[in-house]
Amino acid sequence: MIQYKLQKGSFGDVVAVTIIGQNISIPLDPDNTDYQQYLAWLAEGNTPEPAGA
Amino acid sequence: MTLTTVNAGMLDTQAQYNGFKNRIINGAMVNDQRNAGASGTASTYTVDRWGYFGSQASKGTWQQSAGAVTPPSGFINYLGFTSSSAYSVLTTDQFYLYQRIEGLNTADLSFGSASAAYVTLSFWVRSSLTGTFGGFLTNSASNRTYPFSYTISVANTWEQKTVSVAGDTTGTWLTTSGIGIGVGFNLGTGATYSATANAWTASAFVTAPTGATSVVGTNGATFYITGVQLEKGSTATSFDYRPYGTELALCQRYFISYGGTTQYERIAVGVCNTTTTASCMTFLPVPMRTTPTLAHTATWGVYEGSNVYTVTSIVVDHPTPLVFNASYTVASGLTANRVANVLANNSTAARLQLSAEL
Repeated sequence: MIQYKLQKGSFGDVVAVTIIGQNISIPLDPDNTDYQQYLAWLAEGNTPEPAGA
Repeated sequence: MTLTTVNAGMLDTQAQYNGFKNRIINGAMVNDQRNAGASGTASTYTVDRWGYFGSQASKGTWQQSAGAVTPPSGFINYLGFTSSSAYSVLTTDQFYLYQRIEGLNTADLSFGSASAAYVTLSFWVRSSLTGTFGGFLTNSASNRTYPFSYTISVANTWEQKTVSVAGDTTGTWLTTSGIGIGVGFNLGTGATYSATANAWTASAFVTAPTGATSVVGTNGATFYITGVQLEKGSTATSFDYRPYGTELALCQRYFISYGGTTQYERIAVGVCNTTTTASCMTFLPVPMRTTPTLAHTATWGVYEGSNVYTVTSIVVDHPTPLVFNASYTVASGLTANRVANVLANNSTAARLQLSAEL
C-alpha cells in the first residue's frame, strides 16, 4: 500500500508529499491528479509521515 | 468564374481548419516521451496522452508501432496492443486505451446543454481479429457515456472508421482544466461495464458496447490504431496534421521528460542553500495544465563550480505550471550561496519527468 510523507521546502513550509519508496514528489495543488489521490487517501483515514521524520 | 453555389456544410468544414480542429492530441502517435518506443504492460501512459488500463495485470503489451507493420498511408506511427493470453474477461473486467481531453479544449461543444454539438470520431484501426469492436466517449465522472461500435471486416488490414455522435444534452461536462471528454477504445470488457451501443447511458464507468470483440480473449491478438481525430460536426474531415513542434508542445502541457540526450545534460539552475541542498529552477517550454508531479530516476548531480555531487533526493519546492523549482539533496560537500546547476551525472539513463496529466 502506498505511504506518503510530507516534505518541507526551502522556506521551511510544507510544500509537497512524497511517495515513500518511490522517487515521486507531489505538489500541493488541488488540480494535480496525484494530489487528488493523496487527498482521497487522507479521506480514508490514513496519516502521512510528518516532514523531517 | 462566377460562384453560384455555396455549400453550408463545406463552409463549416473549412472554418474548422482555422482552429484546433482535432481535439485529440498526438492522434498520430508520433510522440512517445515516456517510453521512446519501448513496450510496457502496466496500466499507465503509453505514447504521449494515451493511457492503457487493464483491470488484470499482464494481459497484454502496448508499444508505439508494435509489430512494425506499415502504417496507413500518411502516417509513420501507431499505438499497438498485443494480447499475451487467451483471457476470458470477468463481469467487472475492463481493458482499454484512452485519452482524456481537457475541458478547456471541448467547452465549445456545449455538452450537457440543449445546444450540444455533434462530434465525429475518426481513426485508422487494424487487428488480427474481425468482428464488432467498440469504444466510448465519457464525461469526467464517467456517469454519462456513449459506447460506440464499429466493424473490422478484414484481418491484419488498416481500415478507417468514422463514428458520429449527437452530443449529450444532459449530465455534467467540465469546461475547465479538468477532464472534458474521455475517449477510449475497448480491448475487452465484462458485462458490468458494457451497455447498448450507440446511445448515451448513465450507467457508471461503461467502456464498451455489449458484445464487443475482446482482444485480450485471444492469445497473440493484435490491435493497432492511429490517425485518431475527434472533431466538431457530423462529418469526418481529413486528419489534422499539425507541425511536429506544435504537437510536441501540446503534449508537454501534460508531460515533459528531461534526460537522455547527453551524459551531462543540464536541466536546472539555482543556488546552494546549505551544504546538502540546492534550490534550482527549470523554465518549462510550455505552461503545464497544473503544477506537475515529479518522478525521477538516477543519476543526477549538483554542480557548483568545482565538483559534481550526486543527488540523493528531489522534492518539488514552490513550483508553478511554468517554472519548475525543486530542492536537490546531496550527502554533503556543497558550499552555501554558490550558484548551482543540476545535470545528469555521467548518465544517459537519468530521467526527470513532470506530469500534469488528467
